[in-house]
Amino acid sequence: MKNEIAKANMSWLAVIIMLFGLLLLASHSNELLKQTVIGPGSSADLDFAADCRVDELEEEQLSLEECQLMVSNVRIILSSSPPWYRSYQLTLSSLGIAATLFSLVTAFGLINRHSPGLRLAIVSTALLLIIDVAGFVAAVNTGPLLRAQYLWPLLIWICIHLSMLAAIIRLAQQSEMDS
Amino acid sequence: MLETRNSAESESENLPRLVVLLHWLLAASVFFLFVSSWWMLSLPLPSAEFTYRELPFQLHKNIGITLFVVVITMAAIRIRALLREASPPQGWLRRLAVVDHILLYTLLTVCCLSGYMSSSYSGWTTTLWWLVDIPSMTAENDDLNILFSEVHLWSCWVLLGLLVLHIGAAIYHGIGNDGAIDKMFRLR
Repeated sequence: MKNEIAKANMSWLAVIIMLFGLLLLASHSNELLKQTVIGPGSSADLDFAADCRVDELEEEQLSLEECQLMVSNVRIILSSSPPWYRSYQLTLSSLGIAATLFSLVTAFGLINRHSPGLRLAIVSTALLLIIDVAGFVAAVNTGPLLRAQYLWPLLIWICIHLSMLAAIIRLAQQSEMDS
Repeated sequence: MLETRNSAESESENLPRLVVLLHWLLAASVFFLFVSSWWMLSLPLPSAEFTYRELPFQLHKNIGITLFVVVITMAAIRIRALLREASPPQGWLRRLAVVDHILLYTLLTVCCLSGYMSSSYSGWTTTLWWLVDIPSMTAENDDLNILFSEVHLWSCWVLLGLLVLHIGAAIYHGIGNDGAIDKMFRLR
């Protein structure tokens, strides 16, 4: 019976790690792409006017104002970022991708009953939590426009990873007591 | 519960490792594509000065085309496995799972094809993974571009809804520990 419960716990834990892992992977890889594309010295930074052709507006179902604000949107990111922020985010999102892939591997380890499965899951989830906190601290030190974009999603990720870490630690303790 | 466990276990016998790996590759790609499509459309419209959209759109198209190949491969493997089963799927959960997968594969295919058609009618070229030029099947046509964009948009929204149900089902099976989750993680 105890073995059945332990197996069930591993099963749902693996699903949760996989689900949030895939979402986080999408989040970090898109952040990496965004920071790669939007760099200082690019056209929005050089005050070029938006190119809003009527046929393009119709095709994209946009108003002229929306089209012009798209350039402002890029300027918001550029003007609100301190000089160190882009390289910091590029590094952090690369680390985030690596740590997330590691956590996905631990989910496979849990189901395939590899002995250090839970311990590895603790390490990978703790790593993800550290990366979330590092991202949060960095966002706190940017301008208000970027803080508005980043702080809330990061706080949610911190809560998710904290809950997962607490659950995994508790399951690891129970597993040790049972064995 | 017993019925669910038995049906899940019987299916696990004919679920190849390749399908398991492709399933997770597909899941990661789909999440990436959804998230990227939400922010990349807020980038400035393309022009000689503004090239912000170039890399995200090329990547979106490359992943989409690769995904299409993956979906077709997975569907072929699944159909072969289903045909090999002696009896038709038993139990309402098992039948529902089959319907769910048919809908998922169909919608994924429609999303990929409509995205490609829209791109083709927009006049933009596609170079698969910056290596192979994919010839445009059609001449530039704004009306058809808009039509296929709409198909792409709405089929992807329906796909997202279905994915939420799929994830809900995965959590249900995970908590129920009926063997259905195990087969999606088995690599031996």
